[in-house]
Amino acid sequence: MAHALVPVANVADARATAAALVAYAPERTTVVHVVEKGGGVPDKTPVEQSEDVAEAAFAAFRERFPDADTHVAYGSDVVEAIVDAAEEVDATAIAFQPRGGSRLVQFLSGDRALRLVTEADRPVVSLGTGDSGES
Amino acid sequence: MSEGDEELAKDLGLLSALTIGIGTMIGAGIFVLPGVAAQEAGPIVVASFLVGGVVAMVNAFTVSELGTAMPKAGGGYYYINRSLGPLFGSVAGMGDWMGLAFASAFYCIGFGQYLATLAPVPGLLFLTEIQVGAVVAGVIFVGVNYIGAKETGGIQTVIVLVLLSILSVFAVFGWLSFDWATLVGEGGLAPMGYGAILPGTAVVFVSFLGYAKIATIGEELKNPGRNLPLAIIGSVAIVTVVYAILVTIMLGVVPWPELSPDAPVAQVTEAAFPGGLTGVAVTVVTLAALLATASSANASILASARINFAMGRDGIVTDWLNDIHPSFATPYRSILVTGGLIVVFIAVLGRDLSVLAKAASGLHLVVYTLTNVALIVFRETDAAEYDPDFEVPLYPITPVVGALCSVGLIAFLDPIEIALTAAFVVAAVVWFFLYARRRATFEGELADFVTSRADEMPDSAVSAAGAVAPNGVAAPDGGQYRVMVPLANPEHERALITLASAVAKARGGSVVATHVVTVPDQTSLEAARDRAVDIDATSQGLLDRAREDTETFGVDVETHTVFSHQGFAEVFDAADAFEADLVVMGWGPSAHWSPGRVEGALDDIAGELPCDVLALRDRDFDASRILLPTAGGPDSDLGAEVTRLLAKEFDSEVTLLYVADESEEAQGAEFLAEWADEHDLADAQRRVETGDVERAIESAAADSTLVVLGASEQGLLQRLLGRSVVGDVVEDVDSSVLLAQKRHERSLRERLFG
Repeated sequence: MAHALVPVANVADARATAAALVAYAPERTTVVHVVEKGGGVPDKTPVEQSEDVAEAAFAAFRERFPDADTHVAYGSDVVEAIVDAAEEVDATAIAFQPRGGSRLVQFLSGDRALRLVTEADRPVVSLGTGDSGES
Repeated sequence: MSEGDEELAKDLGLLSALTIGIGTMIGAGIFVLPGVAAQEAGPIVVASFLVGGVVAMVNAFTVSELGTAMPKAGGGYYYINRSLGPLFGSVAGMGDWMGLAFASAFYCIGFGQYLATLAPVPGLLFLTEIQVGAVVAGVIFVGVNYIGAKETGGIQTVIVLVLLSILSVFAVFGWLSFDWATLVGEGGLAPMGYGAILPGTAVVFVSFLGYAKIATIGEELKNPGRNLPLAIIGSVAIVTVVYAILVTIMLGVVPWPELSPDAPVAQVTEAAFPGGLTGVAVTVVTLAALLATASSANASILASARINFAMGRDGIVTDWLNDIHPSFATPYRSILVTGGLIVVFIAVLGRDLSVLAKAASGLHLVVYTLTNVALIVFRETDAAEYDPDFEVPLYPITPVVGALCSVGLIAFLDPIEIALTAAFVVAAVVWFFLYARRRATFEGELADFVTSRADEMPDSAVSAAGAVAPNGVAAPDGGQYRVMVPLANPEHERALITLASAVAKARGGSVVATHVVTVPDQTSLEAARDRAVDIDATSQGLLDRAREDTETFGVDVETHTVFSHQGFAEVFDAADAFEADLVVMGWGPSAHWSPGRVEGALDDIAGELPCDVLALRDRDFDASRILLPTAGGPDSDLGAEVTRLLAKEFDSEVTLLYVADESEEAQGAEFLAEWADEHDLADAQRRVETGDVERAIESAAADSTLVVLGASEQGLLQRLLGRSVVGDVVEDVDSSVLLAQKRHERSLRERLFG
């Protein structure tokens, strides 16, 4: 991978993703967090709070990839925002770790893994969840 | 972070903002309250609505000014905390939060009332059928916010437009059945006398609470300077007119003594619509009522999470409350706690709708009163960063009238609601003294808080930039590397200046020596500057020495005096103002910014450093033998760089230390060799230890004169060392300790006032 765009949701996700990504040794990484916007209605979470989450996740990611670039994307659709961000930072691939969670949670939060794989216009690497994947 | 990205976070236009305000308000005023309020005052209740609209409008001006000055999450709470400090901040935050919970409970009851006319709901235990419906509704609204179910763009707008259309049709048919004689009835327009108008206003004021929600989402508005006041004032104006017209019509169709306290709109529809259409019309308006009350409750729950977030950020409630759900990315705990309160309020007080309505009004009126006071304080203290795009007309009359009206209206509540309001205010004060006082991230000696509040400057609104009285060469030239040295204690002046000059010299930069004069909170910065003559002599002596010491390195120097309340935070404001790239500061018992507080403060500001920071615990500064413990990570980069510069300037002997896990010494040695290479420190001695990190550092430090530590709240070193270890190391070693921290990409302050 020449330039991997790595979406992370929070600190735990950032640590796990970074750990899984090490094996692939990308030449360059940009870690991205999507702040979910309401797009016409008030956001479900205060923007600044979401930005704090992003900062913390970036710091956690940089424990393993100190040189990673960071990018905060804003969008009402997380998957779309990731795909747009890949375009914007000119990433050669998107590397992500599918989020665990029960079927109910996946259903309620939308199966983003599947959508990311189908909607992206560049290679998408699904990093294994390993044994420690939450369920 | 570029401004473009900031803009992306703002996606609410004027129409969205207007509909949020209208959507929150209209549910209550039209669908729920007319019956109850009419029993209170008779047909003159229309005047009660108008008076409520006027009171709301005066407050809307105030909120608009504050909102354009600080378009931040949290609204009223945020302004009051900035202006009046954390005691009143606690009262405002709790008042706003509980007020919203009462209001949500009230909207849920309204929802339950219409639900009961549409479908049979069973009563349960001690709950009436309406309460059961309300609890179910409350649980659903909380659930929707918990998972953050997405209303796709524009749905709020659609809901409000549909509501307004339905109400227009309702108004037309109502007008056709309108009869002046019905309106006047047997007792005339004011059967209970004109004295009933204001108690009526107390009942209906809850239907004007929505405009403040627009302020709580100020950070999400596009062009808040224009849209925020337009949306707030516009929505109050629109709903006041709508209320006046529709309530008049309703009272002209159904005589006021008969108007249903539960589902008045359905009742009026039944009377007004011609035979064949009645059934459909009643169903439509009932659905509209459900939609309207649901949208009101929903907006209130959302707004309460904003207030909790803002309070958590200021340390007034625990951040535990504001944890973000890992899958739904919502502040789920805050929503659940608010939801719990709503259900309790519905169950305990839900039998009497007007108690919930008036309790919500009472708490909000307390907040509004404080908001007006906050505005006056901002204006009168001439807070430097207070620069609203919108200003209230007729200052100071408007905020004074707003405060008096708000307090005055509280007097027209019934004793039970006044008692509830007072209980929550007292609880907030108790909470402040038991919990928030120790944790609030605001400065301010609070012992004299109440007596001195007239003099109190809004802490964080005071910028050091505005309080700078330059007495040296100013003219910051961009481009050059600038090292700022805040000086307070003459004892450490030389060590700090030496360190700063060494770095500046190596970077071809200059030194900015700054004397920080701490002023008690009760004294305004202006007063301090007026007395500056006394301070000048000391200041001049200190700065002259700094100048001489710097010049021995052949480095350019400029000097300043800064007056400050908070010491620490304003040092960073000054660093910002002087465009410093690096701050070299003293740290320890004798540094003037509060003994022993700097480390904690360093943690606090970890997210908002405007520049790199070196904090020196000076114990006879000597850079001849430097120990640099490292575990990698960005913050040890800065440590490495400083070590390199010092080594060059002072011919220091450098030792690198890595603490490996047991039996991983080999990897450790490899890592350290690589790290040393990367950081141009290949000449340094390398030392790999195992076991207890703290002990390893301390024993290695015994051979050194200076320990350089990277500090980072979330960096690897910090996690390895742990905060307490850094503290212990600093206390236990005999050498000087230099704590290095990288600047953060985007400072909180830039976000606050940028």
